[in-house]
Amino acid sequence: MNADVRGWRMALVPDALINPLPAARAALPDVLAVLEAGGYGVLQLPPPGGHGLLLAVIADQVAEYAHHGYAVAAVGVRGQPGDGLHWRGLAPLLRHRGIELPPRHVVRPGADVAAEGARLAAFLAGYDLPPEEQRRWRGRTQEDR
Amino acid sequence: MEQHAPRKVALVANCLLNQNAKVCQGANYRAVASPVVEVLRRRGYTLQQLPCPELAFAGVRRWWAVYEQYDTPAYRAHCRRLAQAIAPLIEQYLRRGDEVILIGLDGSPSTGVRFTSSQPDWGGRPNRPQDDWEIQPRRGVWIEELEAELARRGLPPVPATGWALDMGRFDEAGARRDLEEFLDSHAAAAGARADDPAAP
Repeated sequence: MNADVRGWRMALVPDALINPLPAARAALPDVLAVLEAGGYGVLQLPPPGGHGLLLAVIADQVAEYAHHGYAVAAVGVRGQPGDGLHWRGLAPLLRHRGIELPPRHVVRPGADVAAEGARLAAFLAGYDLPPEEQRRWRGRTQEDR
Repeated sequence: MEQHAPRKVALVANCLLNQNAKVCQGANYRAVASPVVEVLRRRGYTLQQLPCPELAFAGVRRWWAVYEQYDTPAYRAHCRRLAQAIAPLIEQYLRRGDEVILIGLDGSPSTGVRFTSSQPDWGGRPNRPQDDWEIQPRRGVWIEELEAELARRGLPPVPATGWALDMGRFDEAGARRDLEEFLDSHAAAAGARADDPAAP
């Protein structure tokens, strides 16, 4: 096995940002590329609709991460119901599991695409657990690496 | 019903989009398994992430394990719950005529497609030497249960392969070549079906 290089950070991301429709693609930054460059893994949220059991499964995973030193954020997209984040369904599921709601960032389609990408990158770079929490779970902080 | 052009959809193992799901010492990438994503996106695939069964069952701090340790009624029931959560989306893709493929994680006790890890006598105190397991040509437990759920819904088998991340020594160039060959052969088969509508 090689050294483990996990980034300890991830984001809940709507399907519409991972798989933008061809017509919407030019109006959006490449969110998957921005997440990858920022060292964020992806937790994909389903398209609009019910998906109650799938949201519960995702909430279980978020809870497991949040309880063990991982940073979980949420990146929505304006123009989708609830910014594509299923917040009405997901928030109670997270609260029920004792999880604080992840910090949210919303991508604005149609705005200056490069600036939107930079705004997302800055949000991602600026978020992590406090250094003492990072040391507790990860041994070393991101800054130490 | 809303009309839409058929899409190419790749069901991808959870950890291929989120390496934080990997067992300790198993994350070869910081975030996303970038070669897999790059190859699939370049070929026009829509990505659909599957849930990670091990993470929600045994946790992020789980021990390494082999197929036989996860082959239990409780773990299979957990996998069936996850399969029931994601199957409606997969069914929607298949029923509207999308081309669907599955990219698992070869060598994984859960998400292996062509290969899984096996060692019938693993158990007890986790002090086994490195590489003390065998690779067997069979599905992992999660893929078995996911495919069974799709079959219960009367859906056709989904062409599948695995990114060979959990085979002991990871060969990224070889894994990439394997994936490209799988996609080439799948594209050729899909093209032949399109030319001959009577073909299965």
